[in-house]
Parts: sequence; structure tokens; C-alpha cells
Amino acid sequence: MTSAQITTVLRRAVPPTRRSMLGTTLGVLADLCVVGLLALSMWLIVRSGEQPPILHLTFAIVGVRAFAIGRAAFRYAERLASHDAALAQLAVLRSSTFESLIPRVPGAIESHRRGDVLTAFVDDVDQLQDEPLRVRQPFIVSMIVVLLSVAALALISPLAALILALALLIAGACAVWLSSRISATSDRALAQARADLSDALLERFSAAEVLTAFGALEVQRARIAEAEGRLAEAQSTRVRSAGLTAALLSGASGVASVLVLLALAPSLSTAGGLSAPLFAAAVIVPAAVFEVFAQVPGALVARRTVLASARRVAELTEAPLPPEVPSHEFLTEHPVSLDFDADPGAPLLSARELSVRHPGAAATAVSGVSFDVRAGETLVITGESGAGKSTLALALVRLLEYAGSYRIRGVEVRDLPETEVRGIVGLIEQQPHLFDADLRQNLKFARERASDAELIEVLDRVGLGEWVRARGGLDDRVGERGALVSGGQAQRIALARAILADFPVVILDEPTAGVDRELADRLLIDLLGAVPKDRAVVLITHTELPAEVPASTLAL
Amino acid sequence: MKPLDPRLLRYARGARTVLGLGGLFGLLRTLAVITWCWCIAQALALLVLPVLGGMGGAAGRVAESASPADALPALVMVALLALLVRSGASWAMDALAAHGAVQVKAQLRSAALDAIDSRSPDSLSSSADASGATVLGRGLDALDGYFSGYLPQLILTFCATPLLVLAVLLADPVSGLVVIIVFPVIPVFMVLIGLATRGVQQKQWDQLQHLSRSFLDVVEGLTTLKIFRREERQVQRIARETAEYRSRTMQVLRVTFLSGFVLDLAGTFSIALVAVTVGTRLVEGEFSLALGLFVLLLLPEAFIPIRAVGTAFHASTEGLAAAEQVFEIIEGEGDAGPAVSGVGAGPGAHGAASPAARAAEPADAAARPGGARARAIEFDEVCVQRGEQTIGPVSFAVSAGEIIALAGPSGTGKSTLVSALLGFVTPAAGELRRPEQLAWSGQRPGLLQGSVADNVTLGDEQADPRLMERSLDAVGLGDISADRMLGAQGTGLSGGQAQRVAIARALYRTWRTDAAALVLDEPSSALDSESEARIAEVLRAEADAGRAVLIVSHRQALIDRADRVVRIGEAGV
Repeated sequence: MTSAQITTVLRRAVPPTRRSMLGTTLGVLADLCVVGLLALSMWLIVRSGEQPPILHLTFAIVGVRAFAIGRAAFRYAERLASHDAALAQLAVLRSSTFESLIPRVPGAIESHRRGDVLTAFVDDVDQLQDEPLRVRQPFIVSMIVVLLSVAALALISPLAALILALALLIAGACAVWLSSRISATSDRALAQARADLSDALLERFSAAEVLTAFGALEVQRARIAEAEGRLAEAQSTRVRSAGLTAALLSGASGVASVLVLLALAPSLSTAGGLSAPLFAAAVIVPAAVFEVFAQVPGALVARRTVLASARRVAELTEAPLPPEVPSHEFLTEHPVSLDFDADPGAPLLSARELSVRHPGAAATAVSGVSFDVRAGETLVITGESGAGKSTLALALVRLLEYAGSYRIRGVEVRDLPETEVRGIVGLIEQQPHLFDADLRQNLKFARERASDAELIEVLDRVGLGEWVRARGGLDDRVGERGALVSGGQAQRIALARAILADFPVVILDEPTAGVDRELADRLLIDLLGAVPKDRAVVLITHTELPAEVPASTLAL
Repeated sequence: MKPLDPRLLRYARGARTVLGLGGLFGLLRTLAVITWCWCIAQALALLVLPVLGGMGGAAGRVAESASPADALPALVMVALLALLVRSGASWAMDALAAHGAVQVKAQLRSAALDAIDSRSPDSLSSSADASGATVLGRGLDALDGYFSGYLPQLILTFCATPLLVLAVLLADPVSGLVVIIVFPVIPVFMVLIGLATRGVQQKQWDQLQHLSRSFLDVVEGLTTLKIFRREERQVQRIARETAEYRSRTMQVLRVTFLSGFVLDLAGTFSIALVAVTVGTRLVEGEFSLALGLFVLLLLPEAFIPIRAVGTAFHASTEGLAAAEQVFEIIEGEGDAGPAVSGVGAGPGAHGAASPAARAAEPADAAARPGGARARAIEFDEVCVQRGEQTIGPVSFAVSAGEIIALAGPSGTGKSTLVSALLGFVTPAAGELRRPEQLAWSGQRPGLLQGSVADNVTLGDEQADPRLMERSLDAVGLGDISADRMLGAQGTGLSGGQAQRVAIARALYRTWRTDAAALVLDEPSSALDSESEARIAEVLRAEADAGRAVLIVSHRQALIDRADRVVRIGEAGV
């Protein structure tokens, strides 16, 4: 990943300056109050020791109280302002990242890892929110406050300012060094160890029966323990350095105070030299400044996590599109628009020497496939799981690029806008996604204006009518990733969706996996037996078809 | 939520160490802080007093409790020493907490895995796969924040704060009183604000989670959205939903952040109060400068731990919620099923008698001379309880040398009967006999990370490579390299290949242990007809070799090859 691509990703997470300005300003004021409160109260106490008339102290007394209230009030306002800015940016971050992801799903991600990749992607996008809140703002605020404080100290005593500046520089350099040392050694190891542990744990659950039946529970325990050990080691390295940074800063702050005390003591005098109250304030200022400076190492650590997330997001959204994924650019100057009724005699779909390849795959998934599908016909494509059938299906709805020729109504699909292709050819995926909403919403996005009666009618057609009524109708929720419905029911909901969308050509990718035999047959007969004259179906399956279904078969 | 769950101490010994040693280091750190403040205050007073005297001040009690002028080197040395101890103790506390987090996570994980290992695999429903693994994996990482951010500060609040307040009280009763009055205001306000916002806060947290999930939902469903040409519209929907969330959240945050405001204000305002009261008393000559400086330096330290506890509040609730989920696993329905250790486990493990012995007595072939062929598997009026549903009573037998197909619509409990056969569930009624050695492959291939060979010879410590090759050949995977490495859960193979490796594993087990019965649950669901026919031939060969073969299947081709069909969930079982 180039740094420009990572910057593009990060920029989406950072609010525009005019919006973040308020938070930064309030943050600076709040932290200045911290330094001011400590310095002024110190000054006040020593000045009181000079026993001037109490009236001479009024200004300091009011100031101390103002700083005390100011610190709390500015901090409160700052937190509100920066959270508001961050939340406002979240909408931009999510929608623009999603937009950049659109052309790359499903094509640009290996199919068997797609679920994990997308989950991690969403986590990473959320992590990017830390860039303004935990990286930029604390860093900018503490730098400004530290500089202002050192400058103010220089007015009292240039020597004290010099000592403080040196202490800050040395401590800061050590903190940066420690933080970069961790990043070099343990970031990658940590991520790897974490992934290994979660893989081993997932297997313990998903293969529980196998592990028990084959007496291999101990073997798996050993594997989990081994992954755990590596993770513990990586984590320990990391926290050891983090703790060291904190101890280092607290030590440096004390040393700076002692040095200032010793260095300024000789110039302390009644006449002309440094006054006693200012001397006391100068001794206490390093402690306050270091308290503010302590945000910097934290910001550096957060920065590393954010950068790692940004890099992973960029790998997905910013890398050049692989050639196997169709791009929006067209070979011809103007994309052809399809005149659907142009030639009723021509096949609806026709493929010649079609080959498709999944990005990152070593070999083409299917090659040299030729077929015609006319209106009113059904084409069955068979082959064992893994023979590339699903990849072919993705190409037929233009989610993957193809080589050879693939025409709809005689028009080369390459010359058509993607959305136009998908207006004609629909696909029911092998694992259709159900959205975490109610049944109505899961059906309605296929046909916006469908009435409840229409939805129920379609559900009846796919054999879900009874089931839906038993569950309390269309308001019933399907759960996260359709967790509340069985695999067979999910398939049928997807079928219902396709019927509602009323695609002229529907591709069914293993529509009856997870549906028992009797129902599968009935479903297929129902779906394929009555293909209207102007419609066509392509069925992808590894099982045999009921004999009643009239279809031509293509074996891969 | 309790700040510290006692079960954490019970299940994770590491947590006790953190608390015990952490308290000790916390005490050490506090003493170092007091020493440091004392020395710096004395050194300041010592240097400043002569100057103040020269200005006409320092009258009355101002010069009391100050060290003599020649004490400066000693004060500086002690201060530096205290500084060293303070930094060291802080670092030790951090390291201890972090180390404790790692240890506690390992201990909780191991306690949970112990609990799971002793439970029947049947009690882990398939939908819980991911959640269980997440709880024990990434979920437990939430304890990092609890241990590194929250617990040390909690310890400090309890062991440092009282000590610091006492020190202030001894040095200056007036300032001590201010602190004692202000301090309880913090918890009172926190509780009040907490009560006022509890419902709202929880709701807001839920909304945030919901929003994240809904974004994930849309991203995961992007392919589906593209097929229905709805992807562009989602962009606006995401922006709109998030914007709505923002306006609602900001209203809540205005109240939520008040607790932070109170904490900040209590800390800073008591400094201001003390500075002003000490100042006025100094002007009157009623108080000592050295003690005044000491109190002022010490005061901020008293408020640091409780402020940090407040900020780490979310980290703590997340950590405790994660621990809670692990406790649920540990304490979860312990008697969900009989504990099973290896049904017909590896060649050397014949002795591992199934605890479900009553339910699954080894059928002694020799003792049953009645049948022409010995009955290897026998279900006699067996009923199995599965949640609300009762399956059975079912009666059938599989004799050596025959293939029986178990058929019936999905959801009627065929796989549950197989679970009962394997001893994963105890039948509620009836008698079930099975041979001591039984090989099985399930509906899901259940492959593991490692080589194909490792998968085929799973559970066999002295693997027989020739037998392994033979079993791969038998299922038509002779062309796959046995050394080929598979990813987590067997990724890298196609669905059909994975299923055939699982069958090869069952065949290897059959031959290696000379199992009397072979049980296959939906062995051909991902296979094409050709591979399916091949598997059917292999099964026939095993039956001819005198084994009892039981298959559960939806596939007609496979059912047709069976000697008899037992239909479940239909009349006439």
C-alpha cells in the first residue's frame, strides 16, 4: 500500500478543519487551565508567605478559582464538541468507504474468506474513528499547550524553560523509540497469534462432534494452548514497553522539577533577582506540563493501530481493480442500451467459449463453455461442488469479468452497463444474505411497491405461507445473518425475492441445498415447470433433477 | 454492575495475584508520593523562607515545620529516591496488571474449555459456534482494558486515597476537612447522574452497537444488494441513519459527560479551595508555609485514581461483561448431556468405556446367536428428547453385512438419533445397543487446520500412512496430495472434496480399529452423482466385509442402494 492510498483512507475519517477547530481550541484551553491552576496556586501560597495586604492577592484568588472551574468546563465542552465532530464524520466515513467497496464485492475477495474479510473490514473502518479523537486531537492539543507553557516559563526564567524543554525532548524521544520498537517487533506477530487462537477456538466449537468422536479433544486443547502461548508472549512484549513509557514520563517530570529547583535557587533573591513566588511556580510547572504531555505516547500507540487498520482498508478499497472484476469503463464510447424486443427469435442468453476466473485463483474456474437459453427454456448446469459453477453464476450477472463471448439478446454484455445486465439476469445465491430486519423488508427491497397480500402470495408459492402465519406474519424478524430461520427457509425467502423482482432470466445457484428432497422436487417443478414464454431459468446444481422437469443439461 | 466480580477471583487465580501484589505496589507508590511531596515542599520552603523574611514577611507561624538550611542535599537525595520508587512501583503495577490480564484470560479460557470438554458436543448447537469461539477468543481481550486501565486505579482508590487524605489531614486539618467534604460528593454525584442516565445510556450503547451491526449487515449483503441493484441507495441510507444517530447521541452525551465534569470539578475545585484557605491563613501568619506547600502538592494525587476509575468505566463494564459470558459457559447447564471421551477412540483407547453405557451397551455379537447375522446396532423403542420435541419411539436394527438407510423429511430427528448412537445424547427411554468400535462421519465435514493426512488419521497417534493413502483412494481422492495443508476449518478444499476427506477419515477409523459399524450422516450432500455412486460402492464393500453400515440421507440414489430403508417421522416406524 502506498502512503497516498492510506492517506485517502484516513482522510475519510478526519473531520474538516472548521469542524475540528472548536474541539481543538477547547482542548487547548482546558489543558492550559491545568498548567495555570497548579502554577498560580503555588504562586499564591508563596506570595501569601510574604504577607502582603490580602487585597493584593484578590487577583490570584479569583484566578485560581477561574482556572479550577475553567478546566472542568472547557473539558466538558471539548468532549461534546469533538464527539459531535467525530459522529458527524462517521456518516461520511461509513458511506464513502462503502461506496469505494461497491465495485469490489464479491469479485475482489476470495470467496471462502469473504465473510471473515468483510467482518474484519467493518471493524477496521470503526477503528479509523480513532484517528481524529485519539490521535490527532490529543497530539495537536498537547503540543500546543506544551509549547505555550515552555514559552511562558521562559518569561520567568529562560534556564528553567531550557531544562523543561530538554527533559521533554529526551522523554519524548524515548517514548517514540519505545513505541516504534514495539511496532517493529510485535504488531504483525500479535495479529497472527490472535488469528491463530481464534481459528483454533472456532474449530473446537465447529468440529466438536468430530473431535469428541475421534478422541482428539486433547490434541485440539494442545493446539489452543500453543496459540495462546504465542499470543501471551506478543502481548507481554507490548505492555512491558507501554508501562515503561509511563514510568519514564513520571520520572522525567520529577527530575525536571528537581533540576529547575537546583538551577534557579542561586538566582533567588530579595532584590532584582527571581522572586520567591515565581520560583515556586517554575518548580511546579514541569509536573503539570508532563501531565499534558503524557497524552502524546498514547496518541502514538493509537496511531499505530489506526494505521494498521487503514492499511487493511486500503488493501480492499484502494488497490487497483483486478482485471477479473468488471470496471465501469466501456470499450465502446457509449454503452449500448438494450432493445429488449428487438429480435424475439434470438436466444435470451448465449455464451460462446466463455471462461471465467476468480481473482487470485491459479486457474480459470470454468473455460470454453457454450450454451444458448431461449425464452421459455430451462438450462441446467451440473458439476461437483467446487467445479466453478458459482463463479460462472457471478459472471452471468456481471459481477465477474469473462473471456469469450456472452450475449443478451445478441448484444455483447461487455458493452452494456452493469446495472442493465442485472435488470435482466437475476441470481439467487447459494448462500443468500438475509438482512437483520423483518420479513417484509427482506422481501420488499426486491419489489418496492409490493403489497402485503402480494408478499404473502409469493411466500405461499415457495411453501412458506404456513410458516409465516405461524410466526406472526411479515413483521417477524429474521435475525442477524438470518439466524432465526433455517437454511432451507432462507433459500426459499431468496426464491420469493427473485420471484418478486421478476427478472426475465433467473439463475438459481444450488437453490435446494438444505431443503429436503420432497420439497426440493416440488419447488423445482413449480419453478421450472411453469417458466413463462418470455422468461428463462438457468439452474446450477450438483444433484439430479426430478424427471418431470423439462430442461437441457450442460455438464461442467 | 459490581466493580469486581468475586467469580473472577474464584476461576482465575491470576486475578488474586494482581489484587494482592497490586495492593502492595500501590501502597509503596503512595508512600513514595507522600515522601516526594514532603521533600519538595521542604526544599522549596527552605529556599524561599529567607527571601520572604527579607521582604518583611514570614512572620507568625509561617516559618514553622521547616527544615534547617543545610538539609537541602539530603532532601534532594531522598526526593530523587522517592521518585525512583514511585516510577518503579507504577511500572510494576502496570506490568503486573498486564501480566495478570494475560494470565487471567488463559485461566478463564482453560476453565471454560474444561467445562466444554466434559460436556457432550451435542450441547454446543451449531449456531453457537461463532459466538462461543468469539467469547473465548476476542471477547476475552476486553479484559485487557479492565486489568490495565481499571483495576490498578481501583486498587489505588482503595489503598492510596485514604492514606493520602490521612496525610493531608495530619498536615492541615482544615484542608483535610475540605477534602473529606468534597470527596463524598463525587460518588454521590456519580450515582445520581448514573441513575438519571442509566436507561438512556444503555439505550444509546445499544443503538451504537446496532448501528455498527447494521453497517456490517449491509457490507455482508453487498452482493445481494448489487444483484437487486439496490447498492447505490444504501450509501444514502448509511449516511442518513448515522446522522440521525448523531443527533440522538449528542443529547445523551450532554448528560453522560456530566459525570466527567463533576469528577474534574471536584478535583480542581478542592485544589483552588485549599490554595485559597492556606493562602489567607499564611497572610495572617496562622499556618506554616512548608505544610501548606506539602498539602497543595499532595492534593492532586488524591483525586487521580478516582478520576481514572471514572474514565475507565466503560472498559470495566465491557471487561466484566466478557468475563460474565465466560462464567456462563463455565457454569452453564453442566448436565446437558453425558460426558463422552472418544467413542471408539484411537486404537489404544479401547478402555475408554462410554459413560452412557446403560444407553449404549456394546452389543456382544457372540452372545446373540439367535439371528442369522449379529445385530451390531439396535434401537429398541428409543425416545430422544430434543428441546421441546420428542423423537421416537424408534425401533430398528442394523446387522453385520447390511446397509440400512435412515430417511425422512428434514427436522424429524435423524441426526439426533445418530447423536444418541454416538453417545452424545442419552435416550429418554428405550434401549440402544452399539458396538464398541464404531466409525462415523457427520453432516458437516468438520475438518481441521493441518494436512489432509492429519485430518484422515485424526485421533490416531501412530498413524498408518498406507492405510491413510488407501482410504483417500477409496473415496476417489487419490490425486490429492496427503501433505496438502488445509486452512482453519479445512478451507482450501471444495465442498465435495471436504466431504470425501471426512468419509475417508471414517473409513480409516473403520479399518484401523476394525470397527463393527460404520455410520454416515448425509455423506453425499455435496457430491455429484458419479462420486456418490463411488461412495455407495465403498459402503457395499464394507458391508460385504461384515460390517453394519447405517446411512442417513436425502439422496434417492444412495437410498436405493441400501438393503432396507427405515423411515423416520412417518407412519409405520
